Amino acid sequence: MNSPTRVWVVAQNTFREAVRDKLLYNLLLFAAAMIGSSIVLAKLHIGYDERIYRDVGLAAIAFFGVLIAIFVGINLVYREISLKTVYSMLAKPVHRWEFLVGKYLGLIILLVVEVAIMSSFFLGVLWLKDSSVTPAMFSAIFLIFVELSLITAVAIFFSSFTTPYLAGMFTVAIWIIGHLLGDLRAFGAQEGSESLRPITELLYWSLPNLDRLDIKGPAASGAVMEAGRVWFSAAYAGLYSFALLAGSVLLFQRRDFR
Amino acid sequence: MSVIQASGLRKVFRTGFLMRAVEAVKGVDLDVTEGEIFGFIGPNGAGKTTTIKMLTGLIMPTGGSASIHGIPVPAPASRKRLGFLPEGTFFHDYLTGREFLDFHARLLGVPSATRHEQIPALLERVGLPHAGDLRVRRYSKGMRQRIGLAQCLIGDPDLLILDEPMSGLDPIGRKDVRELILSLRDDGKTIFFTSHILADAEVVCDKVAIILGGEIVQHGYLDELLGQEVEGVDLVVEGISAELHDALSDEATRAVAQGSRHLFEFRDESGAEKACDRVRAEGGRIRSLVPRRRSLEDLLIRDMERKESA
Repeated sequence: MNSPTRVWVVAQNTFREAVRDKLLYNLLLFAAAMIGSSIVLAKLHIGYDERIYRDVGLAAIAFFGVLIAIFVGINLVYREISLKTVYSMLAKPVHRWEFLVGKYLGLIILLVVEVAIMSSFFLGVLWLKDSSVTPAMFSAIFLIFVELSLITAVAIFFSSFTTPYLAGMFTVAIWIIGHLLGDLRAFGAQEGSESLRPITELLYWSLPNLDRLDIKGPAASGAVMEAGRVWFSAAYAGLYSFALLAGSVLLFQRRDFR
Repeated sequence: MSVIQASGLRKVFRTGFLMRAVEAVKGVDLDVTEGEIFGFIGPNGAGKTTTIKMLTGLIMPTGGSASIHGIPVPAPASRKRLGFLPEGTFFHDYLTGREFLDFHARLLGVPSATRHEQIPALLERVGLPHAGDLRVRRYSKGMRQRIGLAQCLIGDPDLLILDEPMSGLDPIGRKDVRELILSLRDDGKTIFFTSHILADAEVVCDKVAIILGGEIVQHGYLDELLGQEVEGVDLVVEGISAELHDALSDEATRAVAQGSRHLFEFRDESGAEKACDRVRAEGGRIRSLVPRRRSLEDLLIRDMERKESA
């Protein structure tokens, strides 16, 4: 039996575990409620209704997607270790990297399904309110999915060596800082901030720049997105996720399951 | 032919804030040959589970070497013909018993047709034929142990490593597991198991190794280790006078009166025989006379006392 098959078996089981978790359905329910709430909010801002459907819908997909990626993602890896279910798996001819990559792949499948479900709620609202759908919205949804994949890789990286509580905190911190890197760099570049500049530069170049993946605003306002920029951002996130997974594998490889 | 070989296997853990070194396993040598039941015996914290985890690739050895079927540990190939039951029955409890076995069979690359044949047969063998479609989270402790055993039999491995397979089971569950282990030996499997339930180990093992404080203090065939010497004799009699009871109590190492029955423990056979003559002379009845051989428990306790005094 080859590695891709074992990775796929772990991925399928990870997906099955996630879809049998009530937390996922609760989060999806809240996402649906938030997307649906755009109909009410639009009534309060006459003239901006199209913009509100799009803004609220895309923001809900991104926000609940991140919650699912962090909390379901961290739990699914850490639970295997803390509940010791990993023992009977790794005592088979399974490489540790196959286990970790399988977990990641299972979570990516989960994200695809989850983003597809939330996007269908969003498109449903647009269709119901007779609002137009632009290609830029699909680009924005695609980059939300790419961001979620990157956040999942961050979550897996931290959960491969620390507790779920700390892994959750670190991942949320990376998500917040990742969206503020441009501002941080600009702050460091200001006059009088010379002593901070090395730190802000280090953060800018070492942490994932999630602002690159955030085109929700322009997409909601109806701007046309260049395909080249979208693909470049996706490739950047893909490379970053790969590096994080490689780091997770290195850490996981040396770990003792006591 | 050796199935498990270990030479000078060591594990040092770093614990606490100051990363204090704790040597959990101190140079263990093992040689488990094909078709035998090998008991790895010791009290809690002796290093049994750490040794097993090194053999199964869950813990990286600090020193020494080990191989399974001649393939060095922890290479995944060394676990190709291995079935492992971890201590504590920790399983994916959101799966049904059947899904759980199917998942593990697929990890091993067992073809679909074989899985469809093997899984119902294994559920039947471990006594869970009607629980296959029930989620594992609804299983009792005994059922979990059984599904765990079925999991380690998936793919028909040659070697089974069972970590405390009888722990937490009721007497019927323990008997079933003992019988399963013996039947697996009859099928030609090699079984390496840990236990601190010594009576069970004594019934099923061919060979044992006693581990204390991370070191193997004794190993060999069970018969050789226990020897044929009589450690004591238990005598149960009825219908004797209180005077005779008192007289025999002075000679016995232990005496208990339970209604009309009297139990005496003697150091050797000659003491017990003399007591039998006196009971018969008084018209009493001898209910049983059982020589007591050295048990695994005696051996372990003696080794523990020796180690403590050293």
